[in-house]
Amino acid sequence: METIALATMLLPFIGALLIALSPQRYAKVLCTAFALLATLGMGWLALSYLGSGKTDVTIPLYSFGHTQIFGFVIDRVSTLIGFAVVSLGFLISLYSCGYLTALNREHPHDGSNRYYALLLIFIGAMAGLTLSSTILGQLLFFEITGGCSWGLIGYYQSPKSLRSALKALIVTHIASVGLYLAAAWLFAKTGTFELTAIAQLSDADKLVVFGGILFAAWGKSAQLPLHMWLPDAMEAPTPVSAYLHAASMVKVGVYIFARAIMSSDTVPHQIGVVGVVMATITMVYGFLMYLPQKDMKRLLAYSTIAQLSYIFLALSMSTFNSEMAFDAGVAYIFNHAYAKSLFFLVAGALSYACGTRMLPKLRGMLKSMPLLGIGFCVAAMAIAGVPPFNGFFSKFPLFAAGFSLTGEHWWLMPLLIVALIESVASFAWLLMWFGRTVPGEPSPELASAQPLPLSMKLVLLVLIVMSLVSSVIAANWLN
Amino acid sequence: MDTFTLFIILLAIPLLTALAAFTCQLLGTPRAVLTAVHSVGSTLLLLVSLFAVWTVYQQGELLAGHNWLHLDGLSSLFLAILGVIGFITGIYSIGYMNHELEEGEVSLKSLGTYYGFFHLFLFTMLLVITSNNLILMWAAIEATTLSSAFLVGLYGQQSSLEAAWKYIIICTVGVAFGLYGTVLVYANAANVMPNPGDAIFWSEVLKHASLLDSSLMHLAFIFVLIGFGTKTGLFPMHAWLPDAHSEAPSPTSALLSAVLLNCALLVIIRYAILISAAIGPEFPQGLLLVFGLLSVAVAAFLILVQRDMKRLLAYSSVENMGLIAVALGIGGPLGIFAAMLHTLNHSLGKTLLFCGSGNVLLKYGTRDMNAVKGLLRVAPLSGALFAGGALALGGMPPFNLFLSEFMTVTAGIRAGHLWLVLLLLALLTIVLAGLVRMIVMSVLGKQPDNVSKGELGWQTTAPLAVLMVLMVLMGTHIPQPLQQLLKQATTIVLNGDQAGISELHALEQQLPGATNGAEKTALNTVLNTATNTASHSSAQEMSRE
Amino acid sequence: MTGTLLVNNLAGLMIVTSMMVIAARKPTVSAGLYALQSLVLVGIFLSLASLFDAHELYMWSISAFITKVVLVPLIMYRAFRKMADPKADGGVLSTAVLIMIAAIIVLISYFATKPVQLPMLTDLKPVLAVSLGHFLIGLLCIVSQRNILKQVFGYCLMENGAHLTLALLAYKAPELVEIGIATDSIFAVIIMALMARRIYRTMNTLDVQKLISLKG
Repeated sequence: METIALATMLLPFIGALLIALSPQRYAKVLCTAFALLATLGMGWLALSYLGSGKTDVTIPLYSFGHTQIFGFVIDRVSTLIGFAVVSLGFLISLYSCGYLTALNREHPHDGSNRYYALLLIFIGAMAGLTLSSTILGQLLFFEITGGCSWGLIGYYQSPKSLRSALKALIVTHIASVGLYLAAAWLFAKTGTFELTAIAQLSDADKLVVFGGILFAAWGKSAQLPLHMWLPDAMEAPTPVSAYLHAASMVKVGVYIFARAIMSSDTVPHQIGVVGVVMATITMVYGFLMYLPQKDMKRLLAYSTIAQLSYIFLALSMSTFNSEMAFDAGVAYIFNHAYAKSLFFLVAGALSYACGTRMLPKLRGMLKSMPLLGIGFCVAAMAIAGVPPFNGFFSKFPLFAAGFSLTGEHWWLMPLLIVALIESVASFAWLLMWFGRTVPGEPSPELASAQPLPLSMKLVLLVLIVMSLVSSVIAANWLN
Repeated sequence: MDTFTLFIILLAIPLLTALAAFTCQLLGTPRAVLTAVHSVGSTLLLLVSLFAVWTVYQQGELLAGHNWLHLDGLSSLFLAILGVIGFITGIYSIGYMNHELEEGEVSLKSLGTYYGFFHLFLFTMLLVITSNNLILMWAAIEATTLSSAFLVGLYGQQSSLEAAWKYIIICTVGVAFGLYGTVLVYANAANVMPNPGDAIFWSEVLKHASLLDSSLMHLAFIFVLIGFGTKTGLFPMHAWLPDAHSEAPSPTSALLSAVLLNCALLVIIRYAILISAAIGPEFPQGLLLVFGLLSVAVAAFLILVQRDMKRLLAYSSVENMGLIAVALGIGGPLGIFAAMLHTLNHSLGKTLLFCGSGNVLLKYGTRDMNAVKGLLRVAPLSGALFAGGALALGGMPPFNLFLSEFMTVTAGIRAGHLWLVLLLLALLTIVLAGLVRMIVMSVLGKQPDNVSKGELGWQTTAPLAVLMVLMVLMGTHIPQPLQQLLKQATTIVLNGDQAGISELHALEQQLPGATNGAEKTALNTVLNTATNTASHSSAQEMSRE
Repeated sequence: MTGTLLVNNLAGLMIVTSMMVIAARKPTVSAGLYALQSLVLVGIFLSLASLFDAHELYMWSISAFITKVVLVPLIMYRAFRKMADPKADGGVLSTAVLIMIAAIIVLISYFATKPVQLPMLTDLKPVLAVSLGHFLIGLLCIVSQRNILKQVFGYCLMENGAHLTLALLAYKAPELVEIGIATDSIFAVIIMALMARRIYRTMNTLDVQKLISLKG
C-alpha cells in the first residue's frame, strides 16, 4: 500500500520533470498519460483499502529524529477525496489536449510545457495533500498548490491575469499563516506534527489550532473575508478554472478542516459556531453576487463560493457531534467536484466553439450543440440540488442533520432556513439562465459554432454520468 | 596530516592563487592562463575546505598555531558554505567575466585584478572563519572590506565607484565599532584571567567568561552588534549593502551576500556565545531580536518597491539576515538550529539568484525590471531556474528556505512569542509578494525585440542548475552528515545551556538507527566538550562565590 | 597622583586636537593636526607606561610613533596634496555646534563608563570616558563633513580612540596586538586614499553630497 500511495503522489512530479525536459509536442501526451497513471494508482489504493475490509492505516514515511514529518493516512475520506481530485485531474488534462489548441476561438493557443507541467505538479500536490497524515505535509502541499495556482491562473500572461494570479497567491498565502500557526502550535504543545495529536491538546490549545486551520481553510476555499481572489482568478484558462476552482484547490480548505475535525474527538464549540455563522453569511453574499453576473465563469465562481459555504456549514455542524453532517460534508466535496467541473467545462466548450461565454449572447444550446445543452442542464440541476442528481444527495442529509441538531442548538434554525432559501433561490436563478440559454433558436454565436474535439466531448460525457452516479459512490464508500 | 599543516594549506590556497593571478596580470599573460589559475585555485579550495570540514566532523574541534587558528562545528559549517559557494561563483565567474571581456566592459588587465581580488577576498573570509584570536578576527573582517571594495568598484563607473566608497566608509566605521567592542572584551578578559596572554583567544576567554565584568560586557555587545551588524547588513546599518551588491559584478554580489554576510554573522555569534556565558542570554537575544525584526520589516517593504533587480535581491539579503538574527534571538535548540539551517539555505538561494541576475544583465544589459521582460522566452533554462529560485527565496515548498522559515516559526511559538511570529509571517508574505512581482515583471511577459534568444553557455547555467538541485535536496531531505554538522554548530552556540543540550540530545537519541558509530562519537565528543565547559564555568562561578 | 593628573590632562588635549582636525578646512592641514594628536597619544602611552610601570607600553609608544605620527600623516599628506575641491570644504554643521555636540558626547561617555568596576581605574575614569568619547567624535566627523577626505580622518580619530581604550584597559597586551591593529589601519588608510583618488579622477569632485546616483 505504501508503494502505491508513494507512486501515486510522486508520478505526477516525475511526469512534470519529464515534460519540462521534453519538446512541446509531447507535453500533452505525457501529461495525460501520467495523470492517468496517478488515477489508476489512486483507484488501486482505494481498492486495496476496500479489500482490506476498510481498515484505516497510517503509514509513517519520513521522520526527523523521532518527529514524524510526513506520512500517509489511508481511510474512507482520504481515498474518496483523493480519487476525486486525481481523477478529475486526469479528465482535465485530457480536456486540455482539445481545449488548448490553435482552433480555440477565444484563446487560440497551443498549450506549452509550462502549462502541462504545472497541471501535473498540481495533481501530485493534491494527491499528497489528501493522503498526508501530518499537518506539516498539509502545509507543504498547501503552499505548493498556491504556487502552482499562481503559475496557472497567470498562464496567459496578460497584465490582468498576472494581477489576478498574484492576488490569488497572496491571499491564499496570508491564509496559510493560519496553517503555519496551527502546525507550529501543535508541534510546540505535543512535540509532533501528526494530525491525530490534535486530540491530545487542551481546549485552549485546540482553539488556537482549529482557529488557524479554519482561517487557512477560509482562504483556500474562498470564504469571507478571504474570498476576493476567486472571482478574479477566472482569468485562468477554463480547464484550469474547472480544476482549481471547482475540483481541487478550493477543496483544499474544506478538506484540511474536515481532516482536523476527524482527528480530534471533540472540537471547541466556538469553532463550530464561528464556522456556521461565517458559512451562512458567505452563502448569502455569494448568492447576492450571482445577480449582476453576465460572464458564465464569474457566475460559476460565485456559485462555487456559495457551494463551499454549504460544505463549511455541514462540517461546522458536525462539530456538535453529528456524524451525519460530517458525512454530508465529505460527500458534498466529492459530488460538487464533479458537478462544478462539468459546469466549468461546459463554459469552456462554449468559449472553444463560439468564442464567447457571455450568457446573454448564448441561446439555443440544445439545438446546435445538444451535448452542451444537456451538460448545462445536468450541471445546473446538480448544483441546485434537484433529485436525482448528485447535489441532492449531499444537500438533503445536510439539512436533515442540521434540523435534527436544532433540538439542542435552537439558534441553528434561522441559519438553516436562510440556507434553505438560498438553495431555492439559486435554483430559481440557474433555472432562469437555463431557460434563456438552452432551449430556443440558436443565437448567431451558437449557430456558427465549430464542433468540439473528441477528447472534450468524452470528458463532458463522463462528467455528466458522474453527476448522476457520484452520490451513490460517495454514500456507499462512506458507510 | 597534522592540524597546523591543514590550516596552512587551507589558507595558502586562496592567497597563492591571488598572488598568481596578480603576477599573471603584471606579466600580461593570455586569458587562458589566468582562467586556468583561477579554476585550479577555486577547485582546490573546495576540496581542501570540504576535507577540513570532514576532519572536524570526525575529530571534533581543531586548534593550531598556538591557539591562533581554530575550527569547530560552528565555523566548519561556515567553512563548508565558503567552499561550496566560492567554487560555484568561481565557475560562474569564468563564464560571466569572459562574456564581459568580449563585450569590452572590462579589459584583460581588470580581469587579472578581478581574479586576484576574488581569491584575496576568499582568503580574508577564510581568515575570519578560522581565527581564534579576537583581534585577528576583527582585522580579518576589516580586511574583507578592503579586499572586496575593489571588486565592487571594478567597472570604474561613477555609480560603482560611489558604491565602493560608501561600502568602504560605512563598513570601516562600522567595523571600528566592532574593534571597540573587541577591545572591551579583550581588555576586561586580560585583567581578570589568570593568564592575561590567553585573553586574546576566543576559546580561552569562553572558559573564563563568568569572570567578566557585567556592565562592560553589556556595552561590548552593543558595540559588537553595531559593528559587525553593519557588515551583516542589519538595519539600520545596512545602507551600504544595496549599493555595493547592485554595483558589483554579479558573481561578486553572490559572494558578498552568501559568504561575507555570514562571516560577519559568525563573529556576532561568537561574541553572543561569549557574552551570553558572561551575563546570561537575555540581553544578547533581546538585541538580536529587535535588530532582526526591524531588518525584516524594513527590507520587506523596500523589496516591494524596487525597480532594480539586484537592489531587490540585496534587500532580500537584509531581510534574510534579519530572519537569522530573529531565529538566534528566539534561541533554544530549535531556534538556533533554524538559524544555522537558514544561513546555509539562504546562501544557496541567494547565490542562485545573483548568478541568475548576472545572466539577465548579460542578456539585456540592464537590471531595470521595467526593461527586462520575458526572460523565460529569451533564455528558458535561466528563466525557469531564476523563477524557481525566487519562489524558493519567498519560502515556497518544496524548496529549502521553507523548511528553515517554518522552523523559525515553530521555535518562536515554542518560546511563546506568538505575536512576533504572526508579525513575522505577515512580513514574509510581503516579501513573497515582492519576489513574485519580480518574476512577473522580468521572467514572464513578451521578450523585447532587441534581445537575441538563447542561453549563454554552460558555464553560466550549470552553476544555477546545480544550486537548484541542492536547494530541492535541502528542502526535501537534509543529508545525514549535514544534519550532524548543523547539530554540532547548534550545540556550540547553545554553549552549556544544559536544558537546551539535553533537549538536542534527546532529539539525537531518538534518531531511528540513522546514526552510525563515527557520527555518534563525533557528536558525543562535541556534546561532552560543551558539557564539560559548562560544568567548568559553573564550578568557577561557585569558587568565586 | 601627578601621573594620573598628567594622563587626564593629556586626554583632554586629545579631544581638543580632534576638534581641530575636524575644524581645519584643508585636508593637508588636518593631516598635520592629526600627527600632532597622535603625538599626544604617544605622550599618554609614555606616562601610562611610567605610571603602571608597564614595559609593553614603551614598546607601544614606539610603534605608535612610527605608524601614527609619521607614516599615516605622511601617506595622507602625499595623497591628499594632489586633490582639491574647495566647494567641498567645510561641514554641514558650524564649528560651534560641533563643539557642543562633542561636549555632549563626552558627557554621555562619562555616564556610560561610570558603572565599570575595575580596580586600576579609579583615578583614570575620565580617561576611559575620553577614549570612548573620542571614538564617537570620530564618527561625528564622518557624518558632519562634506569632503570625503575628511571622512578618512574621521576613521583615524575613531581608531585612535579605540587604541587609547586598549592601552588603558590592557596595557599588558603583547606587542603583536598593537602592531596588528596599527597595520590594519594603515592599510585601510591607503585603500581609502586610493579609492578617493579614483573618485576624484572619474567624477572630479570630493563632495560627498554629489555622490547621490544610488538611492532607495
